[in-house]
Amino acid sequence: MEDGGGKMKVNVLNKTENELKIELEGAGHTLCNLLQKKLLEDETVDLAGYDIPHPLASNPILYVRTKGDVKPEEALHRAVEKILELSKEFSKELKKALKT
Amino acid sequence: MEIKVLEKGDKNMRLLIKGVDTPFVNALRRNALAEVPCMAIDDVVIIENSSVLQDEIVAHRLGLIPLKTDLDGYNLPEECSCKSEFGCNLCRVTLTLDREAKEGTVTVYSGELVSENPNIVPVSDKVPITKLVKGQKLRLEAYARLGKGKNHAKWQPVSTCTYKYLPQIKIDSKNCDACGKCVEICPRKVLEKSEGKIEIRDLPACTLCQDCMDACPKEPSAIEVGWEENAFIFSLESTGVLPPERIMEEAVKILEKQLKELASQIKVRKT
Repeated sequence: MEDGGGKMKVNVLNKTENELKIELEGAGHTLCNLLQKKLLEDETVDLAGYDIPHPLASNPILYVRTKGDVKPEEALHRAVEKILELSKEFSKELKKALKT
Repeated sequence: MEIKVLEKGDKNMRLLIKGVDTPFVNALRRNALAEVPCMAIDDVVIIENSSVLQDEIVAHRLGLIPLKTDLDGYNLPEECSCKSEFGCNLCRVTLTLDREAKEGTVTVYSGELVSENPNIVPVSDKVPITKLVKGQKLRLEAYARLGKGKNHAKWQPVSTCTYKYLPQIKIDSKNCDACGKCVEICPRKVLEKSEGKIEIRDLPACTLCQDCMDACPKEPSAIEVGWEENAFIFSLESTGVLPPERIMEEAVKILEKQLKELASQIKVRKT
């Protein structure tokens, strides 16, 4: 089960020029699956994936590897921005649909 | 992106969402189930219980009674400014129950719970709590709090929250001789026969079982069932604690909050 309440905490496990391995305390499949998908849509991303080491603990480990000299944290940032844009559009459309 | 309301009632809602991908709708589904808070009884002080049910069974039954929720007026206990274990007026609602069977056998219903806030009351007055025989008493004080579905199912604002791909049914009019076998076999009555032609009656009802394809005597099948990528039918059924559209809005808001939290922390690492 995911942890009750509390904020998300990011722990960096491994970081090189084009690799990033982070632990997202307090997150789960909800966020990681979405991030993985968006990261893989990015052409500069070579590899993206996540693992939940134990089903009862909510500390998924997200791994990103980029191509060339793009920083993985930049790619991650871009992915987050992309999803935020999508969710903004979604809430806008939802409001519009509910009004009619 | 395009959203269309297919069906909307007090408790249920069905949306047609076009132009989003599976992980996104799945995130909304998961958030609606596990992250959108709602009210439920969490602590019970039993003053007197001479019913046949043990205290913990009564407490468990009370917890599972859906309570109408006011998300704007109350805080989650862990985020409340009071920081108290017992809660304050902003994160806790007290409900009391006092019932004695004066004569005969009586059933105690959820409607007999007296709430300190007239807006936080059971969704239904007809949830049985226990039965009392003459002389038995049930007196208790219950504390309701906001909570999340991931911690206990009693805090789940939805009973059903699912999505499926939008079906796509193609009927090859040249090949089809309108024998009607596909109409007969369809368990959801998606198809109908009219004027010697097979027509689609209710497309969203299709479960993609593809029985109609197997039933078609033509080789290859004159009817083809597929689905549209990136188009979903999202059904949501509230337990009554919150209106369905509010649950949907909250699910999006929570997703945005999670993403912002993550983004802010990555920014810090960059420097």
